[in-house]
Parts: sequence; C-alpha cells; structure tokens
Amino acid sequence: MQIERSTEWKEGFSKRLEDLETWDNWTLYKMSYDITKTSLITEFKGLQSLKYLPHVTPLAHQLEAAERVIEEMNGKAILADEVGLGKTIEAGLILKEYLIRGLVKKALILVPASLANQWVEELHLKFHIPALLYRKNYELDHVDVVVMSLDTAKRSPHREKIYAQDYDLIIVDEAHKLKNHKTVSYTFVQSLKKKFCLLLTATPIQNDVFELFYLVTLLKQGHLGNYETFSSVFSKGRRDAEQDEYLKELVSQVMVRNRRQDTGIEWTNRKVQVMPIEFSTEERTAYQMLSGLKDQHSLFSDAFTMITLQREMCSSGQATIGTLSKLHAECGNLEAAASIKKLILLLERLPDHSKAQKAAELILKADDKVILFTEYRATQNYLHEYFYSKGISSVIFNGKMSKNSREWAKHLFKQNAQVLIATESGAEGINLQFCHHVINYDLPWNPMKVEQRIGRVHRLGQEHDVQIYNLAIQDTIEDHMLHVLEGKIGVFEKVVGELDDILAAKLKEGTYVSAADSRVSPSIFQ
Amino acid sequence: MYPQQIHEYLRQFFNETNCPIIHESEHFLQIQLTVEMDKKIMNRPFYWRYVESIQETPKPAQLTLITDIRQLTNGMKGEVVHMGSPRLHQLFQVTKELGSYVKMFEQVNREDATQTVLTPWLGVNYQISYSCHQTKEELYSLGMNLMTGAVFQNFHETLTARNLHNTPPDHVFQLPYIISPVRALDRLEDAVDGLIQKQDPSWAEEARRRWKKDQAVLDYFYEGQDDMPESYVLEKQAMAERFTPRIRVDIVNGGLFYLQ
Repeated sequence: MQIERSTEWKEGFSKRLEDLETWDNWTLYKMSYDITKTSLITEFKGLQSLKYLPHVTPLAHQLEAAERVIEEMNGKAILADEVGLGKTIEAGLILKEYLIRGLVKKALILVPASLANQWVEELHLKFHIPALLYRKNYELDHVDVVVMSLDTAKRSPHREKIYAQDYDLIIVDEAHKLKNHKTVSYTFVQSLKKKFCLLLTATPIQNDVFELFYLVTLLKQGHLGNYETFSSVFSKGRRDAEQDEYLKELVSQVMVRNRRQDTGIEWTNRKVQVMPIEFSTEERTAYQMLSGLKDQHSLFSDAFTMITLQREMCSSGQATIGTLSKLHAECGNLEAAASIKKLILLLERLPDHSKAQKAAELILKADDKVILFTEYRATQNYLHEYFYSKGISSVIFNGKMSKNSREWAKHLFKQNAQVLIATESGAEGINLQFCHHVINYDLPWNPMKVEQRIGRVHRLGQEHDVQIYNLAIQDTIEDHMLHVLEGKIGVFEKVVGELDDILAAKLKEGTYVSAADSRVSPSIFQ
Repeated sequence: MYPQQIHEYLRQFFNETNCPIIHESEHFLQIQLTVEMDKKIMNRPFYWRYVESIQETPKPAQLTLITDIRQLTNGMKGEVVHMGSPRLHQLFQVTKELGSYVKMFEQVNREDATQTVLTPWLGVNYQISYSCHQTKEELYSLGMNLMTGAVFQNFHETLTARNLHNTPPDHVFQLPYIISPVRALDRLEDAVDGLIQKQDPSWAEEARRRWKKDQAVLDYFYEGQDDMPESYVLEKQAMAERFTPRIRVDIVNGGLFYLQ
C-alpha cells in the first residue's frame, strides 16, 4: 500500500542543522507531544467527537444512530427519525466526527431557507463548527462548512460555484422535498458527488413507495435496483407481505429510523380523535348546489377545480367565495356566471360555519394554548375574526409572512394569544413545545404533512399529553380524504415502519382496510 | 482534557511564549499578548499593517480565557475555552509550530564532567494515520543512536526522564556523529515502514470488501448500458474516495539529543 509522507519537517530540520534557523523551546516541544498523544484517535470505531463537545449530551438513540451511520452505513444514510427526536443533533455528531477524524474537510448543508439560521446557530453553539450562512457573492474557496438554502443552491450562478468545490459531505435537511425525481432540486442533488451524504426527513414516503425509491436511489444508486425491476416487483398490484418485508430490510440498510417509543424516553401520549361534524341545513344546500355545478358548465367539470371547491366549502364560506369569484371573472358563459353569483350570495349570507363553531367549542373547552392548522389563508382570516367575536385571542401565521413577522407571531402566541392559526407552509421547523392542543381544521392529502404538523408540539421537551383533533365534515369530500390518508399511511408502515397515531387510534385495531389499496393485508395495522 | 488540565496548559503556554499573565484565578487567566503572539493568534492583519505604516506604538491585545465557566459567578467576560473550542485548537497549532525542532544536551554533575561523554541521538515522533471510510492513528517515538545506528522505541519517554538543557554542560566531551542526522532520518523512515508492515491489515481488507459490494450494486443499476453517464462516473469516484485505504506518516516533532 502507498504510504504518503510530507517532506516539510525534513526541510526545516536541515535548515537548523546548517544553523540557518534557531532551535525551538523544549517545553513547547514536550507540550506538543502531549497534545498529540491526548488527541490521538486510537480506534477505528467509536465516537471521538464526544470529548470535544462538553456542552452536548446526546441521547442514547442519537449516539447509536451516529455510530451506525459511520460504522455500518459508510457515512451514507437517510436519517428518518420521527419528528422531534433530534435528527439535527445526529447529523451534527456525524459531521463533527468526520471533521475530527479528518475524513471530511469541506461540507455542504442544504436546508429550507427558513431553517438556515437555526442550522448555523446550532452548529456553532452545540458543535463548535464554524459554519457559514451562504449569501450571494460569497466565495466558497475558504469556507469549509457552508449552510445554503436548497432553492438558492440549485440555481445559477450558485450551482456552478458549488460544482467548482470538492465537498466530502452533503447534508440535505427536509429531504422529502426531493421526492419527485423530475424536479430541479432532485437533479441538482443527484449531480453532486457524495463521498458521504445524509438525507434528513421524518417522512421518507409521503404518497407512494416510489418516492422512497427515488430518495434511496439519490443516496445510493442501485440499492433498490433500477426503476424497471423495482416497479415490476413492488408496484401496487403485485405486492405481497413477503416482498414488503424484503423491501423493508433493504431500506433499513440505508435508513435510521427511531420512533418515540424506542428511545427509552418517557414520551407523553398522543390522543388523536376524528371529530365528525354535521353541516347545517343551509350549508348542506350550498354544498349540494356547489357539487351540482359540474353538470351545468364545463368550467366545473375539471375534477381538480371541483374538489378544491368542495374542500374549501368544508373549510369556510370565505375560502369558497375566493375561488368562485375568480371563476366568475374568467367565465364567459352568462348562465354559469349567474349560478356562480347566486351561490356566492347564498354563501355570504350563511351563518357561522359549523366547523368554526366546533373549533371554538374545542378551544374554549381546552382552556389552554391551541395550534390550529388550515389549508386556506381565507379561512385563517375568517377564523381570526370569528374567534375574536367569541372572545378568543388568536394570531395568524403563514409562509407569506416575512421571517420577522413570523418570529413576532410566534412570540405573541407564546406570551399573549391563545390560538395560533397556521398553515403548514409557515410552520415548518418551528418548535412549540409549550402548546399541547392541535386542531387539524382541515386535512391535507398527504398524511406526512399531518405528522409534521403534530411534530411541532409533540417533540422532545413536551411535558403534557398532546391532544389532536381532526375535524371532518360527514358525507363530504372530507370523508373520502380520510380514507385516502389512511391508505397512504398503510404504504408507509409497510416499508418504512410504524407511525405514531396521526388520524385516529382506531387504525391500530385493524378495523380498517385501505381504500387506496384494497389488497393491503390487515395484519400491518396490528 | 479536564478544565484544570487546560488551565495548566494555557498557563504554561503563555509563560513559555513570554506573554505575561496579568490576572489569574483557578478558573480564568488574563494575558497580555506579545506583538508576535498577537500577530499569530488575533487575526487582525489590517491593524498591524496600519500601526507599522504610521509607526505608532503597537498595542498588542489582552486576552481573558475562562477555563471553567461553571465556577465563575461574577459575570466575568471572556472567551470560554474547553476541549474542542476553536481557540484551544488554535493554540495547539501554535504550540506545534513553536515546538517542532530541538537540540538538547543532558546535564552532568560538575565533578563527573570530565569523565563523561555525550552520545548524539536523533529523536523523531511520528504520527501515523490509517484511513479509508474510517480512521485510526498511532504515535511512535523513535530514537536512533548516531554512532551505532541502533533504533529504540518510546524514545520520548526516556528523554522526559532526563535533565536536558539547550546548552551543553561545561567540560563535557560530545562525540561527533558518524551517521549524519539527515541519513538517520531516512533510516528511521524505513523503521516506521517496518512498524506499519506489522500492523493487522484487516481494516484495509474490510474497506475493499465494502467497496466491492457497493461497486457491484452500482454496476447492477447501470447494467446493459454501453456508455456510462456522468452520474456513474461521479459515484464511482466518490466510492474510490470513500474506500481507498490510505496510510499517512506525519512528523510531530523531533531533534538532536546528546545523552550520556
């Protein structure tokens, strides 16, 4: 084997033999030897980083994860702990270990813009890693550890600057954003050399098993075979329990997934309930009129538009009116325009939305901080006013707000307001352990978004049982959505592992068979 | 290193580099840096260029280093220094730089002086690192007798047990070396190679085994393709960087020693 050595010392030594330079101090010489001896890495295995991190006491599952990634997975892994278990700590430990061992000289950390500051801060304070937040015009030559927003990094000229560097470790936070292999983000990360690579996501599957295929392939090409073989073996129609086991085994070779209950920490419980709600008679009439529109005009025959309207109707009149007004403006047909106008008038006259009433009731009963998630900004405004009329103080929080406004809203919620009315686009990555009531005012299509929502409060540091209320209006699109969500959870649990309750506790009793995939064996729910 | 050890280290370091310690308790040190030390560790080249260009009296900085923050309650301001802190790491580097080469003489009692002969030795401390996807390091301290060519291990430990000084004792005869120190250095290198050969090679075999396995997975992914795309080449390169077993020999420090 080739042995590398440098000749630098020899040159300095020769100069001193020829009296060209002076000899050094004996005490410093001995000190230097002692330092080398104390900081010597005497074993291939184990974590050296801990003795350099006196202010961090990682939890057992975090240490295990870091060791496993380094020793068994050769530094290429998906860190998929449940939300709130400290994936960032695991990634920090791994990065620190590689830096100390000299295996990583330069590292690139790609994160959502909203989390960039938090990363830099944690790396500094907890890990003493001088990470730099990338700004335009920065030269990357002299920056060893850089934190960059993925959205910036993938664009020119930043992308080219990254290509010009030689990174040893790539970390991607919220890696479920790479689930679609046709996106620019995916191709960008794919085009980076990955000597070591960590993908962080609590939700490696959001909708279907192919997302996991592409995520694993991004990390390690060929680990799940190529697309043709994978799809022929694992496509929905042909799956059986044995293949699911096999896939799970393969996935576990590149993925660390700690669940709350395996951490050995006393976790507070999650109490999840579906709250069925009846429309009032007027609302039911409006919903039916709305659904009837699709037979009236081609504008409404598009399934996506119709579903959107129906979902909005289940959320608030205001959200529905917003979309209807847009359609009214675009619609050339007089007859259709008239029916829309009529519907809008009807909606404007509706009394308080049944769901809003239920939400207010739950909030008053909770008599404590509540975080409420909705999909629609119009609903946010409506609820804000409605709650005010009921004497409930609330603040609005969404992704359209600037970083400062969001910080301020969070502060207000902590100090004064009872309710935070949020959309999930704004809530990513924020920690609200001081609150333990979550209302899913309306549900998204993607169950992992619900998991991420719950994860805002059900995380390390939560001291109370977390109450989760999923509101769904009976005999509407929301019924169907519940079914689809449950089906998706089924796929996740088969190949990744079990999930904590998201929709309702009844899932675990096996009473339910997925609507999306009727071949699902009931055993997986046990 | 515990806070106490770090404290002791800092005190010794600044004493040896002639930086006066102005205030000190068990848990902190306040140091007046010399101009040289300021230039080395304070990272302010513009200040120094400015001062020197207008020939003003230079004001080297003072540094307050806190070695155990938990013991300080009076709101003391300063840099908290612990194992892993960038400042300590920097001082370690400076220590290494300032303690690389020595020429030392064993001290002899005056009455024995005329009967004593000092033999020249070359002593070198080697740090060897083995790396693939993991790493391990070893430290060897070798000494070669420059009269006979005999090589000894754990040389540094034998040195620290003796009373050495950087000037020769009076009236003592120093043998001129037969083997030149530069030649000896080459021969010590061979000795280090010998030590490396004796190491258990299983770490490198394991790395190669993992490499082969990953390569097979990658090849399977691109099976049947004649022209390999960029992504294949990239991954192959990443794999080589990850798994290639490497051995590196660095010299920590070393010097000439005249011993009884």
